[in-house]
Amino acid sequence: MTTVKRDAGGIFNRRAVLLSGVAFGGLGAVALRMAQLQATDFFSGEWSEQARENRFDRRVVTPPRGVLYDRFGVELATTRRDLRVSIIPEDVDDLEATIGAIAQVLELDDAWIRRRVREARNGKPYEPLLLRQSLEWDQFAIINARLPELKGVIAEDTETRSYPHSLVFAHPIGYVAKPTQREIDRVLAEGSEGERRAIYLRNPDVRLGKAGLERALEDMLHGEAGWRLVKVDANGRPVGEDTGSQNPPKPGAGVVLTLDADLQKRAMEAFGEQAGSAIVMDIVTGDILVMASAPGFDPNLFVNGIGQADFDELNLSDRHPLYHKAVTGTYSPGSTFKMMVGIAARRAGMPEDWAVSCPGYFPFGGRNFHCWRRGGHGRVDMHGAIKGSCDVFFYRAALYAGAERIAQVAREFGFGQRYDLGLPRQDNAFLDSMRQGIVPDPAWWRSIGRGQWTDGLTVNFGIGQGDLQVTPIQLAVMTARLASGRTVAPRLIREGPGVSDPPVFPSIAGLDPAHLAQARAGMYGVSNEGGGTALSASNIGLVRHPETRQIMQASPETARYEPVRIAGKTGTAQVRAITAATRGRHYSTIEWKYRDHGLFVCFGPWDDPRYACAVVVEHGGAGSSVAGPIAKVIMHDTILKDPARMQPRTLAQLQAQQMGTPA
Amino acid sequence: MTVSLSSAHGGRSGVLGKMPRLNWWIITALTVLAMIGVAMHASVSAGDATALKPLTHGLRFAALLCIAIGVALFVPPRTWYLIAYPLYATTMLLLIGVELVGETRMGATRWLSIGPMSLQPSEIMKIAIVLALARYYEDLRPGRAPTLLWSVPALLLVGAPVALVMHQPDLGTATLIAMAGLAVMFLAGLRWRYIIVAMSVAAASAVGAYYFALHDYQRARINVFLGLADDPLGEGYHVLQSKIAIGSAGLTGAGWREGSQSQGDFLPEKDTDFIFTMIVEEFGFVGGFGVIAVFAFLLWKAVEVATRARTSFGALAAAGVAATLACYVLINTAMVTGLVPVVGIPLPLISYGGTAMVTIMAGFAIVLSIDLHRDQTGGRGILW
Repeated sequence: MTTVKRDAGGIFNRRAVLLSGVAFGGLGAVALRMAQLQATDFFSGEWSEQARENRFDRRVVTPPRGVLYDRFGVELATTRRDLRVSIIPEDVDDLEATIGAIAQVLELDDAWIRRRVREARNGKPYEPLLLRQSLEWDQFAIINARLPELKGVIAEDTETRSYPHSLVFAHPIGYVAKPTQREIDRVLAEGSEGERRAIYLRNPDVRLGKAGLERALEDMLHGEAGWRLVKVDANGRPVGEDTGSQNPPKPGAGVVLTLDADLQKRAMEAFGEQAGSAIVMDIVTGDILVMASAPGFDPNLFVNGIGQADFDELNLSDRHPLYHKAVTGTYSPGSTFKMMVGIAARRAGMPEDWAVSCPGYFPFGGRNFHCWRRGGHGRVDMHGAIKGSCDVFFYRAALYAGAERIAQVAREFGFGQRYDLGLPRQDNAFLDSMRQGIVPDPAWWRSIGRGQWTDGLTVNFGIGQGDLQVTPIQLAVMTARLASGRTVAPRLIREGPGVSDPPVFPSIAGLDPAHLAQARAGMYGVSNEGGGTALSASNIGLVRHPETRQIMQASPETARYEPVRIAGKTGTAQVRAITAATRGRHYSTIEWKYRDHGLFVCFGPWDDPRYACAVVVEHGGAGSSVAGPIAKVIMHDTILKDPARMQPRTLAQLQAQQMGTPA
Repeated sequence: MTVSLSSAHGGRSGVLGKMPRLNWWIITALTVLAMIGVAMHASVSAGDATALKPLTHGLRFAALLCIAIGVALFVPPRTWYLIAYPLYATTMLLLIGVELVGETRMGATRWLSIGPMSLQPSEIMKIAIVLALARYYEDLRPGRAPTLLWSVPALLLVGAPVALVMHQPDLGTATLIAMAGLAVMFLAGLRWRYIIVAMSVAAASAVGAYYFALHDYQRARINVFLGLADDPLGEGYHVLQSKIAIGSAGLTGAGWREGSQSQGDFLPEKDTDFIFTMIVEEFGFVGGFGVIAVFAFLLWKAVEVATRARTSFGALAAAGVAATLACYVLINTAMVTGLVPVVGIPLPLISYGGTAMVTIMAGFAIVLSIDLHRDQTGGRGILW
């Protein structure tokens, strides 16, 4: 018996057809949807574009930073190849095992492993953690070969900023480091453009100048970042070859400095254990040949992040190795200021042969102002007073000149102002960090709310004490101006984008050459005449050949040759009042940080001045004892080498040379 | 009687004699789809010579096909009719068991462990509901199927497992069970007016469910789909990547193993729920359309079996299986093209994984059986 469906294909079949129609319609809708998605793409490229963005990661290529050269082309800050190994903690299965395997290759101990594991646990899991840099090539090759088994490990062949002279140029050149969170936050506040910049700053290869010229010349040195497209998978891992296009970075501009690497190194060595600063300037061009601050530090430590312990050691030292003392250290000039007072007094009408009698003290305003020589200098004129650094003479000369006139002369000779050092941008943090110092006068005294200026202050002003504060660079400028009579201004950059040749400096307006000559003669006396305070510094060990005029090292054979002489001035800046009794005899018993700063300024050669030098030795005692000998060493090398008369290297030459040599 | 009937038809004796009368169109379509799956799993495993997925997929299908043919040959519709209620009841008990002692994986309680085996009762329910409803309507006196009163038991048969599966939670499977069940009720002849009312109620309860019954992740998916939330790295990521892959594929695609979205891991779950996307990315519109066409053909053949069946049970069971397949395919393809919210439903026979394949092959074993034995009827219409 053949039964059929009870509705005999009625309702069921109709509805089956209807339902099938719905299903087929749905499938058709899916097909149409595919067509629609693809049509959208055909006309707008929307999906293909997104697929490409997915597939290709635009990787920033950091630009090679501009090289800093000394005046003869010695590389002071450069870029060197750096082989490193990093890990991305979240991609590593077993931190101990992985880091242990790397430690085995690098021959590092368990303590290192523990430290790195701790860092990896404490850091952000997705951020690469630099394990070790400056790998040897064979170490790098081994790690590279083992990468497939070391998940999460990255071996990179990169470039890093390098300071081949280590601590010698740490202060003038400074260093680069990773951008800080503060810097990133600051650019983030600048809106959408800042956001892009922040992304760039977060790139682990980006370094910014943080101190010195690296900071001041950041825009010039940094260059422009490029990019390349890398084919990646969804986890951002590069897959296969780089098939994408690229836009190569624009390297930063090279810059030739005025510094002389040999002399700078010599100056740093001359300081030994001492703290302080030395400047050597070309008095014609203003070129800074030496800009040394001691002690130094190794700027390479900062490039990839300095450890807290290393930083603390530098930061907490009472010798302040991180301070750029040449431009940020301020000191009382002490007796090195006496030429200013003498010139001011002469300008006030003091006769050339004006002389005073020095009994070792000067009673004024109900108290005695002491001379450094307790027995006194006897009767001295300005020449003798500079030579013997007689305080009593300058107490009275200061009264003769008046505080305002002294301050005016001091400013004419370069105190109380900052120098742009030939840097192209006026408003930059490096220049802002330079100290201006203080040249006190009655108006300033009132402006800071201390009331009426007194003659007692003028007396103290006369020997460069009191509120007067100067920096080593200002002392060098003063000396250069004393040597040349011109408004010499210092510069640190010889050649670079936007840097022009130095001007011919005009004579100091209102300066009587006779006054200058008398001051200079006194300085000659300091180091060359009986009674001079720095006779020890007089013989710098150089002689001039009588016929060829060639300067050479003194030796027994050159005994009859004329010695090369320098003119100088000692100075001692009190850190705290030291009684006459403790000074001298018990000096070594005074705690280091309470000892006087020693200063020495000089220029030479005397008969044809070209170089001015200023040396400050912190807590070095009297200027003649420590600062003088350091200046003598520096001047010896400077005058012997005579860099101002040597042909400097141009940037074009240096770059041509760099192209010619394989990297 | 059985023996005489079977010998009367075809004039050949024995099981092997029935072989030529199997619906080979259906078997071919199933095989083509499974082989597409094998090819795609080989693409997923590009660069990994030791990958077993393509082989496993192929062998699993081959084994299931053999079983399905065997079942179709040996198990007549009468048996399906007889086991319909016991199977349904057992599956309900298992679903309740899941509620009580189920195993939780990835936030959902869907599995029951029985010794070394673990099983998803909700999958069995996809077939059990179809059989149970087919039997229910087969047993109903004529004229009662369209009425509201006699629809209530059917609705309860559907509603009970759906509620349990929703609670696991498994929105995808619950949807499938509900839609297959409702499709059978619709085909059984329920009056239009009730259908319209039911659809209104369903829409209202969908809104209600959105606010009260759904889990946060489910709600998030729907929000993203409706454009209420923009979340390209979260819930919207899957669909966005899928749309990118499909949109950028063009007419013929990137080529086998060449799809950058799939091969670069941008496309998630590309061997399971999003395998259709991978097919389109690598074989273009042509490939995607081809797969849809094969499914449509399979569906057509299954509906043909249903309309050819002489009994309500056979018709409704075959149609229910077809509806289940249609729901799988439609929901999956609509989901990966961004037409409906993301629900975890694989593309049958192509996506990797045994569960869905077992369900579909079991369903088609029934369809093949009904088709093969369509002339063997007796008594009240079912082969006695």
